[in-house]
Amino acid sequence: MQEKTESLVALIQQRCLWQFVSRAHDREENIDGVLTLVGILLTGGAPKLETPMDRLHYANANSLVTEIKTELPWLSHLGKDDLFTVVTGAIKRIHEITVKKSKNGELFIPGY
Amino acid sequence: MPMKLLDCDTVIPEREQHVYIKEAGEDTTQFLPISNAATIPGTLSERGCAFCGAKLVIGGVLKDTIQLIHGPFGCAYDTWHTKRYPSDNDNFQLKYAWSTNVKEKNVVFGAEKLLKLAINEVFDAMPTIKRMFIYTTCSTALIGDDPKAVAKAVIAERPDVDIFVVECPGFAGVSQSKGHHVLNMGWIHEKVGQVEPKITSPYTINFIGDYNIQGDSDVLQKYWHKLGIQVLAHFTGNATYDECRGMHRAQLNVVNCARSAGYIANELKKKYGIPRLDIDSWGFSYMATGLRKVGDFFGIQDKVEELIAEEEDKWKPKLDWYKERLKGKKMAIWTGGPRLWHWTRAVEDDLGVQVVAMASKFGHQEDFEKVIARGLEGTVYIDDGNELEFFEVIDMVKPDVIFTGPRVGELVKKLHIPYVNGHAYHNGPYMGFEGFVNLARDMYNAVNSPLWALASQNIQEVQ
Repeated sequence: MQEKTESLVALIQQRCLWQFVSRAHDREENIDGVLTLVGILLTGGAPKLETPMDRLHYANANSLVTEIKTELPWLSHLGKDDLFTVVTGAIKRIHEITVKKSKNGELFIPGY
Repeated sequence: MPMKLLDCDTVIPEREQHVYIKEAGEDTTQFLPISNAATIPGTLSERGCAFCGAKLVIGGVLKDTIQLIHGPFGCAYDTWHTKRYPSDNDNFQLKYAWSTNVKEKNVVFGAEKLLKLAINEVFDAMPTIKRMFIYTTCSTALIGDDPKAVAKAVIAERPDVDIFVVECPGFAGVSQSKGHHVLNMGWIHEKVGQVEPKITSPYTINFIGDYNIQGDSDVLQKYWHKLGIQVLAHFTGNATYDECRGMHRAQLNVVNCARSAGYIANELKKKYGIPRLDIDSWGFSYMATGLRKVGDFFGIQDKVEELIAEEEDKWKPKLDWYKERLKGKKMAIWTGGPRLWHWTRAVEDDLGVQVVAMASKFGHQEDFEKVIARGLEGTVYIDDGNELEFFEVIDMVKPDVIFTGPRVGELVKKLHIPYVNGHAYHNGPYMGFEGFVNLARDMYNAVNSPLWALASQNIQEVQ
């Protein structure tokens, strides 16, 4: 499962700009918002689209799901529990790469 | 491989922390070049100044605004002619350069009176123009002029005009990046919210970080128009001063150049709750992805698919023609910062071109996180590169073509390596579907030009 998680992480790293916005709190909001929705979309769930931020995360998530279906087709065939493990693992790892262990010295500067 | 100390840098070993070669299995938690840091003494940087970042990149693009540069006239000339950003009002902003022409006596006695005189002179000379940016420069900042006070006094006397002052002398910050920041933050805090735009569509956006270089904004505007999306403000391609004062009413900020204008998108989110959607407007597949995201946000997916199909029908065969001929070519990208990450995967996916070296003049670590995540293994990533490093890296990676600015462009031309203007383009626009075909064409023409071989011949020895 670890290998599958790493494949998803590699795809996200390569394709998604939302994980790299300027400040840690914005990155965290995007990572959680988009990737949680990716899990919902891959399992056929209905996304909640109540606020502008919900719609933003949906736009980013839907595009990533399209990429996943092309680049990592096996992912959408995983059982619900395995899929949850992979997506949760990816959320954790992306947090690690882009926030917690990031060498970017500007992430925690107050203000923009 | 950890950070790389190039042979030419042995006398300035601090440069090791600015050069990285990516290897398999590495990520940016292990290695990330230092960037947006002061240029190291001893390195011949090709960076521009902070004033230039504000004026040449962002402010000077506005099509209805006098750009008064408070300083010696050289500062005006050097930020007037090197970018080609046309407008649909007969290129007003490209036809004129305005300067207070500060001299020694003004440095000694102060230049505020001169500034006030110049503001009035230029408004009198151009009576239909009612908007102005004033920029401080190194000299007028050092003598302590207060251009905001002068602007305030003029506005009191001429209530039909509006003036925005950018206090960002060349020495502020470490590169032109500081100028982007100062202009963005000043604009959002002083000017956004002052004009109420007329809303004509249920879908409204600001398109941020596109400067209509050789018509980029025009290409994208065609797409937004076809989708029924109203762009309240392009920040700042082909835009007016007052359009950019009405940015607070958009439903979505679509961001292309996150480096020069991500700040205003962040502030618009914080202050007005407008979400920020980052897209890549360069690249065939990237453009389609970006449009699909906008379509998902507004729930207009069908219209988006129709537009993409139409554009792909028209341009994909042309792109494929170039792809067939460019596949396997090696490219270097030595530009400001964002084009490294916008372009590296786009040229690989859409044209089969490998990017073997990338250098950023003013990118921050955020830009290096993006480009290292997207870029190839074995590729060289450089912050604030110097000329000797460029020579050494060329020997290492042997690029077939280099996309860079005119400064480094002149250098590589002397080595008879094909060069394409990566800042202002050779024959753009480069954004959008048709734009990427233009980029491919310029790359193809550069790589196949017979001039490089001819240039290396000694004409005295050629019959």
